[in-house]
Amino acid sequence: MLGEFEYLLITAAAALGDDAYGAAIREEIQSATGHRCSIGALYTTIDRLETKGLVKTWMGEATPERGGRSKRMVRVTPKGVHAAKEFYSAITRISQGVSWVAH
Amino acid sequence: MGATGWGLVELVARLLSPNEREAVLGDLAEANQNVLRSLFDVLGLYFRRQGVLWRDWRPWLAGFGVALPSCYLLMGVSASVTSTYVRLFDPKDYIPCWPTGREGFILFLCHIFLLIAWSWTAGFVVAWWSRGAVWVSAVLCLFPFCVAHFPIESLPRACLYLFLPLAILGARHGLRTMRVDAAFASALAVAVTALMILAWKCGALWTLNWALIWPVWYLFAAARRRVPVAQTI
Repeated sequence: MLGEFEYLLITAAAALGDDAYGAAIREEIQSATGHRCSIGALYTTIDRLETKGLVKTWMGEATPERGGRSKRMVRVTPKGVHAAKEFYSAITRISQGVSWVAH
Repeated sequence: MGATGWGLVELVARLLSPNEREAVLGDLAEANQNVLRSLFDVLGLYFRRQGVLWRDWRPWLAGFGVALPSCYLLMGVSASVTSTYVRLFDPKDYIPCWPTGREGFILFLCHIFLLIAWSWTAGFVVAWWSRGAVWVSAVLCLFPFCVAHFPIESLPRACLYLFLPLAILGARHGLRTMRVDAAFASALAVAVTALMILAWKCGALWTLNWALIWPVWYLFAAARRRVPVAQTI
């Protein structure tokens, strides 16, 4: 099963759709968690997910905001969607009835 | 982030691979982080990558199984070749200090070829196996230089480093090569083995130097199996 950070990354990438790339995913995770996301953790996790076939990455176009440097684009694969659904279902099932989940 | 600070971040980012450097520097430019945080991010990514590399067995074998022992043995071969050269071509300056045997000109040429082949092959295999961690193998090679004692009082100390340019050349080729040519690897393996047997039969090969043959035969096996560099680290 996915790890929690892997799930955050896949979910952020899925939410961003065609605009999913390193910096955007990082920003999305930081907004959702309220914690800083290190570039080291981000890119090593992206590599791990790509090795598992859960995401696909490629170098995208450069933009002036990025100093003319390319982005690393990320797309979640169907296998990645399935893995994320599995993780979400497991979290939902195990969280039923606990005090911090609103009924 | 000022120009100086950004320049420092770009310099440190050279530790990363080209594509990754491009993406990371772009992300940092977009996020407009301060210099210190950016440096931590880049170094953090680099050390995480190193951590992943060293979980594999290949960099360990490249460093401790090839680089370190080969360096020590090749220092000895370098001293031996130098001593033989002085004995053959400058006999008035020759002081027997190195158990080089009594090689004639033919065996001297044989030793030169073997030195070249052993040095290049060891450098090639180390770099080919542990691309991302080749710097550790290079650092390990400093240990023999610091701790080994060779009785070469009458020879210049620089003679111990004779193998080094060849090993570095081999390492450069190893870093750039995707596949090993089977014909070349076969010819090299056969030639090195034949010359080692010749030197051994003439009493001009140390027993320990047989350890220098295994990178040569590894290349042969890799070429036959068509191992691509993707299977290396």
